[in-house]
Amino acid sequence: MTYQQISQLLPSNANARGDETHCQVEPSEFSALVEKLHLGLGLPLSLVYGTDNRKELGTFGVHAVLSIDEEAKWIVISTSVSSESPAYPSLTTTMMASHWYERYLQDMFGIVAEGHPDPRRLVHHENIPEGTHPLRKDFAWNTKLDHAQVPYPMHHVQGEGIYEIPVGPIHAGIIEPGHFRFNVAGERIITLEGKLFFTHKGVEKLLEGKTPTEALPFIERLSGDMAASHTLAFCQAIEKISGVSVPSRANAIRVALCELERITMHIHDLANIAGMGTGYTLMAANGFRIKERLIRLSQDILGNRFWRGAIVPGGVTRDWSKEESDLIDRVVTEAVKEMQELIKMAMQSDGLRERLETSGVLKHDAAIAYGAVGLPARASGVMRDVRSHHPYAGYPEVSWKIVSAVSGDVYARYRCRIDELDISLRILQEALHLHQDTPVAVDVQLQDGSALGAVESWRGEILTAVHLKEGKVERCMPRDPSFCNWALFAELGPGNIVPDFPLCNKSLNLSYSGTDM
Amino acid sequence: MSLTIAVFIQGIVVLALAPLVTGLVRWFKARLQGRHGAAPWLVYFTLLTTLKKENVISESRSWVFRCVPFVVLGIALFLSLTLPIVFPSGGIPQVDLFVLAGVLALSSVFLVLGGLDAATAFGGMGASREMTIAALIEPTTLITFATFASVAGSSSLQDIFGNGITVISHPALLLSFVALVLIVLAENARYPVDNPATHLELTMVHEAMVLEYSGPYLAMLEYASSIKLTVFLLILGNLVGAGLLTTVVIGSFALALFESTIAKMRFFRMQEYMSIAFFLALAGLILIFII
Repeated sequence: MTYQQISQLLPSNANARGDETHCQVEPSEFSALVEKLHLGLGLPLSLVYGTDNRKELGTFGVHAVLSIDEEAKWIVISTSVSSESPAYPSLTTTMMASHWYERYLQDMFGIVAEGHPDPRRLVHHENIPEGTHPLRKDFAWNTKLDHAQVPYPMHHVQGEGIYEIPVGPIHAGIIEPGHFRFNVAGERIITLEGKLFFTHKGVEKLLEGKTPTEALPFIERLSGDMAASHTLAFCQAIEKISGVSVPSRANAIRVALCELERITMHIHDLANIAGMGTGYTLMAANGFRIKERLIRLSQDILGNRFWRGAIVPGGVTRDWSKEESDLIDRVVTEAVKEMQELIKMAMQSDGLRERLETSGVLKHDAAIAYGAVGLPARASGVMRDVRSHHPYAGYPEVSWKIVSAVSGDVYARYRCRIDELDISLRILQEALHLHQDTPVAVDVQLQDGSALGAVESWRGEILTAVHLKEGKVERCMPRDPSFCNWALFAELGPGNIVPDFPLCNKSLNLSYSGTDM
Repeated sequence: MSLTIAVFIQGIVVLALAPLVTGLVRWFKARLQGRHGAAPWLVYFTLLTTLKKENVISESRSWVFRCVPFVVLGIALFLSLTLPIVFPSGGIPQVDLFVLAGVLALSSVFLVLGGLDAATAFGGMGASREMTIAALIEPTTLITFATFASVAGSSSLQDIFGNGITVISHPALLLSFVALVLIVLAENARYPVDNPATHLELTMVHEAMVLEYSGPYLAMLEYASSIKLTVFLLILGNLVGAGLLTTVVIGSFALALFESTIAKMRFFRMQEYMSIAFFLALAGLILIFII
């Protein structure tokens, strides 16, 4: 299906801006149109978000973003719902991929998705009073809320020999807070549900009214291990709105930064899954040691341990000298080679392979239905990678290939990481030496408007929607890949046994902070 | 040597050595994995620190909870005093192998009760897993002991060691010895059955049962596991005719090496591990009647 054919299905008010096509529909037609495109034509539903336009238009806006992967285009379908009784027919009645987004809308804006099969709270826990909608413009960020007791029921399974295991939000290891509720028969998981948003920081609210420069530190700290990717997605949106084209050298350095982040975290995950997940501790001890070298490399180059502070709207803060490029090349090549040696040894262990294979299978259909993104989706045969479908920064200039697998188990995700590690190294080596000694930044004259910034982080697709008005952020929704993938646990958990769950969890390695925002 | 002195000396040696054995295993493991590792004697300080800490006790528990650490440590003490481990060839009272099997089961039962008593999800989970493992390992333990008893002509450990029985005394014992090693790993919550270092609540067996214990009670339970591990290592050492120090050093090293080279087994494959142990033990017993 080409864009030409798809655009005929859109209402007559559709207008194309660059790679985005925007159109406005009535609330009653919203669900039908999205359904036609998502279920009928198979366009991935990448984001659903809300805006408070009561001041200008007297309505709330709901926007659904779909991707035409083949032609690197986005379709944004918007609808306006009345400010008195904000409601529209739910997308989730037929489309699974929107179920969290609509619960999110309900909590943050008070926009009701009528007919949502699971209209429970999502972000708000028991203690938040009814009628609290923090992303409405008339809600002050520093409002002190009363303590309430609103029920937040979780799924129960009843029957002889069935019991519930509550895990978290405080865990035995050093990880972020999240509550998981297992219903098990013996060791076999029957249902599994997560309760997140313990670390809700109100980032979206705090971003409003800030200039992009002021907003940058918030974006960088959304999720510590993907600082560069989140920043890049945000900057790309700003640049798209303002019609800025970034110098080639800056694009090359941006690619290098994202790949450095990917390599750092893939090494971490490869060590963590095999080492901590299965108890093959040798991998953990050595993998973390190797990862630390890359973190120290970040410290040497950028002065912080998280690949932060380099990407800014208009380019990057400074060029890397020949010596710095060589240093990065040398350190990373050595680290990756050493990790590959370790993996070669680990993969010969039957015990380890046996643990990884057939654990936590994410079926292809489920990955598509839930709108899974990133490596977990690719390991289940969903061939999507923003780097190839919506090429950005310097990726069109470097040669690389998309990695995928079909079995969808922990082993498939492990294998994909191994392959991506190798490819990432090659992208990095190429990007480091592209367009050396050319300018790395241009001035950005901010304009009003809205745009999407998409980046394939190591975790998956980041999609940041930014609305600018008079040089300030009017609304910003940095959608972390974890937001799409958390719900996958309900799908890949059941059928596994409880002691294998940490392994499934580590094989996705989702961010709490990035989801909780 | 008089009985009292022998028992006294053996008790002192085993009790003093036990934390070191645990520490040595951890230290060897760290070294084998390329880590610096904490000093092997750190365990003594950890135990002392834990002993000094406050005892936090759940409100939803019965007297069983308080009684468990005493029973488990008591059984560990009993093992360390009555088994011929430091003086294999005499001087220690007669203990029947089947009493040993019973006492070990009693210790498991009380640990399980302790896990269940506070009515937490993890305690129950650990308890159910421990019972599964215990039920699968019990027949193997009895058959293995029966084989040793048949070879020695007596079911007392003292007679077995006193008669100079080692692994090479009879071909059947080679098989039984391997079965015994597998039993020891399972009994002591080691790889591939359980991970003694795990921080993951969902994968624990032994650690899940003692999760609710803190302060002095925790110290007692940890000390008991150290003693149990030491006692079993020394028994295995005696069976291959190794001396006390050799056993401690080589035994901890071998255990650390084993645990560093494999991944923990999937819990639902445990029956395969137990089946191997069982059939090895059974083959050993049959061999006695054939040869």
